[in-house]
Amino acid sequence: MSRRNWYIHSAVSTIKANRWVSFLTMFGIIVGVASVIEIIGISQGVKNEITNQVYTYSKDVITVESKAVSLSSFGVVQSPAVSTLTKQDVNSLAKLKDVKASVPLYVLSGIADGDKAYHGGIVLGTTPDLPRVINQSLAVGSFFDSSESNPFVAVLGYNASAGLFNQKVPLGFSFVWNNQQFIVDGVLNKFSATPFSNNTLYNDAIFIPMTAADQLSLSSGGSIFQILVKVDRTNDLNTVDREVVAALLSDHSGQRNFEVLLPSQVAQSNTSVLNLLSALSIGIAIIALFVGGVGIMNVMLMSVTERMHEIGIRKAIGATNRQVMSQFLIEAITVSAAGGFIGVIVALLADLVIRSTTSLAPSLSWQIIVIGLLVSMVIGVIFGSIPAYRAAAKEPIDALRNE
Amino acid sequence: MSLIKLEEVSKLYGFGDATTLALDEVNLSIDKGEFIAVMGPSGCGKSTLLNILGLLDRPTNGTYKLQNRVVERLSQTRAAKLRRDTIGFIFQSYNMLPRQTVLENVAMPLVYKGVGVTKRLKMASSILERVGMHNREYFYPSQLSGGQIQCAAIARALVNEPSIIIADEPTGNLDTSGSRLVMELLSEIHMMGNTIIFVTHNPELTRYATRVVYMRDGRIIQDESTSLGEVAKTARRRMYSVSSKTIEDDLAGVSMLMKVMPHNDNQTEESKHKSKIRKSSKNKESFRS
Repeated sequence: MSRRNWYIHSAVSTIKANRWVSFLTMFGIIVGVASVIEIIGISQGVKNEITNQVYTYSKDVITVESKAVSLSSFGVVQSPAVSTLTKQDVNSLAKLKDVKASVPLYVLSGIADGDKAYHGGIVLGTTPDLPRVINQSLAVGSFFDSSESNPFVAVLGYNASAGLFNQKVPLGFSFVWNNQQFIVDGVLNKFSATPFSNNTLYNDAIFIPMTAADQLSLSSGGSIFQILVKVDRTNDLNTVDREVVAALLSDHSGQRNFEVLLPSQVAQSNTSVLNLLSALSIGIAIIALFVGGVGIMNVMLMSVTERMHEIGIRKAIGATNRQVMSQFLIEAITVSAAGGFIGVIVALLADLVIRSTTSLAPSLSWQIIVIGLLVSMVIGVIFGSIPAYRAAAKEPIDALRNE
Repeated sequence: MSLIKLEEVSKLYGFGDATTLALDEVNLSIDKGEFIAVMGPSGCGKSTLLNILGLLDRPTNGTYKLQNRVVERLSQTRAAKLRRDTIGFIFQSYNMLPRQTVLENVAMPLVYKGVGVTKRLKMASSILERVGMHNREYFYPSQLSGGQIQCAAIARALVNEPSIIIADEPTGNLDTSGSRLVMELLSEIHMMGNTIIFVTHNPELTRYATRVVYMRDGRIIQDESTSLGEVAKTARRRMYSVSSKTIEDDLAGVSMLMKVMPHNDNQTEESKHKSKIRKSSKNKESFRS
């Protein structure tokens, strides 16, 4: 047994001898490490879930947004006063070699009134290619096409259907929007995520043809806030991205007053709120770790005071300051590492419980677990240093006099 | 050349009005192989003297030379290493760590010396055999008698093979048989060439010493060479005049003894000591035989 192993052995003996005190000392670290691991795991799991869901709708879609679009913070797109995107942009993009389809999303404001007044959603003017572009099917009916004789038809998002009508299948029913009657052609299946923008709730939206949107835009003051560009899946997205930018720059006289987002960037923006919440939760868990560390320091300081006579004996028989410091530091690290280890076990158990009782699937990786353990050890070093230094700095005779 | 040499060593405790003079310009020279008993009333500075000699404490003034090296201002680390390699301590209250076995306690100084586990346990076991504690290696201190614990403490003091053993009232907590056991052990260690300095209140124990130093009010008031096997003359005077039945009686006797001592006695006469030590060595051999 090397001297370091002897210190660890000695530390373990001390922990065993004071089980309850040691456990209470570890408690903060256990809670902190388990929280950090579980919060990171849950947020990573949710992020993966969102990304997967978003990718099912938009993995081959490049999103173009106007920089002038202003978004409310309540999940509803507000009609911007000026959008830099135009129909000409939509057409230019549709003509690109690697682009399968280009679909505008024209935002209009106003309250729709069916069986009941519907305040919760938005009206989006678009083209018949939309379901194909976003890989979404209809629950009932069909999406309007270019051959429609009546431009005032609509396809409802899943929630919009329930918001407007009492019937589950409102095909052929009408609602009024901006003093214009619209006939329901179909209802989209429920979106499990919000593709393309976390501010656009597609389940709440009413989709109408562009021709109708054009006619009503003067009274409703709408504009194109997004163009969805479906690319050939076999092509490199980055290459198409450059082509899209070049085409738009050409249309906009070289002005970069638009944003082009790849699917990964859209997914990233969708998880930004989650990232913020995760950061907040991790911050709270770090505070728990800090409090745990202070607990370790407190107990170690008490331990040093209680064991001052023992320190005196060790010094009398030849322990140097560094050796005494090492012993107490290793003791603090052992306590916090043991806390970290128990914290990992608690996190794994919590993971099992969460998986079996909720729909969440936390994603715990070995890297997170190793980081959790390392953090607990670092806390031991940081908060064990002061008590260890105090133990070491004591003159042997002063330490021996403490009974 | 002296193994230990104190020159005008003083030790002050406290500040201002609360200052206590524990040692008052003490001069003391100790040669290798001496077996010195330090006697004196409680609070006279015996333990302070031993603490300074053992590098556990530092003098306020004066010079301390250990093995001809000035050591009173050594850094804590250097003092610890010197203490570890040169000095073994035996305390009145044993000072064994209660959560460790006798073997672990005895091996502990070797941990700080960096000796590997197998070697240090073997060395500890061997030293325990020497002090007759071989069959108690895996006992905890709480499972042993006072005399046995002190024997284990002696083993711990010896395990680093120090040249000097400092014992602060090693028999203070022991009964007569325990005291005899411990003193016989120290005597054996002395015969192997170690220098032993011990504090005692019991005049009877001066039989084991080759020299007795009497202290009072932080000063050495008498320094007497003595023959092994005989109670020191000054101590004996008090033994016969005070009926000594208990440790308390011994304490009272020694305290009274100190009172009758002249204040201005010569402190240390090194030349006398050396000749007496030579003489005592001869006596020691005859005593042992």
